[in-house]
Amino acid sequence: MSALGAIVHREAKIRITNLMFIFWDLLYPLGYLLVFGVGIDRALHFNVAGDASDYHSFFLAGVLGMASFGIASNTAWSFFMDRDNGIFFEMLTYPMSRAQYLLGKVLFNVVIALVQAAVTVGLSAAVLGVPVVWRLLPTGAAIVAIGTAAWFFFYAIFAILVRQNDAFNSITSIFYFVFLFASSMFYPLDPLPRMFRMVAYANPVTWQVDLLRYATTGTGSAGALALEAVAFGIFMLLSFLGALAALRRES
Amino acid sequence: MSSVPAIEVRDLVKVYSRRGESAIRAVDGLSFAVARGSIFGLLGPNGAGKSTTLRILTTQIRPTSGTARVAGYDVVSQPLEVRRRIAVVIQEQAVDLLLSARDNLAGFARFHGLAPTQIHAKIDGVLRDFDLFDQAGRKVQDMSGGFRRRVQVAKIFMVDTPIVFLDEFSTGMDPILKRSVMASLRAEAARGRTIVLTTQILSEAEELCDDILIVNRGREVARGDLNALKLLSSGVYEVSLTFDSLPAGLEEELARLHPLRLSVSRSTVEIALKESEHRVLDLVSQLSARGRILRVEVGGASLEDVFVELTAKGAPQ
Repeated sequence: MSALGAIVHREAKIRITNLMFIFWDLLYPLGYLLVFGVGIDRALHFNVAGDASDYHSFFLAGVLGMASFGIASNTAWSFFMDRDNGIFFEMLTYPMSRAQYLLGKVLFNVVIALVQAAVTVGLSAAVLGVPVVWRLLPTGAAIVAIGTAAWFFFYAIFAILVRQNDAFNSITSIFYFVFLFASSMFYPLDPLPRMFRMVAYANPVTWQVDLLRYATTGTGSAGALALEAVAFGIFMLLSFLGALAALRRES
Repeated sequence: MSSVPAIEVRDLVKVYSRRGESAIRAVDGLSFAVARGSIFGLLGPNGAGKSTTLRILTTQIRPTSGTARVAGYDVVSQPLEVRRRIAVVIQEQAVDLLLSARDNLAGFARFHGLAPTQIHAKIDGVLRDFDLFDQAGRKVQDMSGGFRRRVQVAKIFMVDTPIVFLDEFSTGMDPILKRSVMASLRAEAARGRTIVLTTQILSEAEELCDDILIVNRGREVARGDLNALKLLSSGVYEVSLTFDSLPAGLEEELARLHPLRLSVSRSTVEIALKESEHRVLDLVSQLSARGRILRVEVGGASLEDVFVELTAKGAPQ
């Protein structure tokens, strides 16, 4: 088995020891969509820019983006578990490159993210009547996979360099607040104050969620989406290089 | 290729710098080579630079300067080639706590490229050798520290890498298992594997190593096989005397001779001295007049004496 296969196998073995965790990972975005999405829709009679679209249709992409973000931060946190077990340092002596180590760590979790997205999109269409554009699903799957990997690389920089678990937890709490709320995840950006919009448009979460919105419900303008796709690609590449540099610096 | 040493280190330096603190030269110009198929011991007191040297050789960290080649490959420019040829037991615990002993062993073998059939053929034997077979399915987190260490050390016997590094491998092992692991390591060396170990338990090194390097403060203090090292400490004698009852004030009296080592336990005195032969015999004769002696033993230097003498020279006053 290749080193990449071995590390994916290891991650899977560890995750399978806790089926509750997997169950939670697979279903929590759907739960979020049902509780939060339907709640906002009914309570606030949500309407996107005069469109008849309901809130859960709007929020589907947001919940997929949030799930990518969550899986990525949990996967990056596992560096602390590896460090506590000492296996992190032993693994640095295994016959694999540092890049393979990073890729292998995220691959199994990308699979989880894809299954989670399939469950969420499928049931949101069946139960909530979200108008999913099925022909765009492969694009959606690619965005979920790339998004999960990109956020994992981003978080890995901090998980590797910040050696204290509690410090990392504080960082992720701040990131959750800033990245998720200053983005197009929960609400459309057009009605918001200019300053807020500027921050949100510079936020990779907005780029990913806008792309996911296009890939699920077919909304968005082609020019802006192309720009966001390029920007998110650059973000992933820089995050990967940053995580690689952090791992090499550590070793 | 066979003439290439298993390990070749030249002018190796590792400096740790932290903001606001003075730099620490953990390894300071080490040079040595290790022959293939030998058991090489890296000895030194705490902070001597043993583990740092091992971490460089196993590609965990990069040297500040100098070169190190393992199995003919450079640890900085060809780390992957090095990693393909080594198996490592690090000083700290290193096991997947959420996985069983069997999964830990299989996982390690998988990383080293063994096929499932090869893993299947080997794993039960290794589990039995380490007395882990009955607990193979237990999660390692439910095992004691000693058993976790067993799992960690057992992993290296799953693979056939030509070079094995062990950093304080016997920590937490019971004496019976330690004996068995030492016998297995000798057998591995006899098959042509090169074993590199660090230890502070000198009897281990004395029993296992063909070749020993003593380091202190990152520098070589002495190098050679056991006999050569003992010659470095010629003139050192170990005297062991057992009295029927220990004469009063004897310990204080002996301490005034500034021995290399002095230990008194119940009615037995053990003292290591750097003196001429006749003065040592005089001392034994004087002591025999102090009380009834049940047993006398006079011998040459042990590795421990050599170690204490050589490393004490570099110790802070």
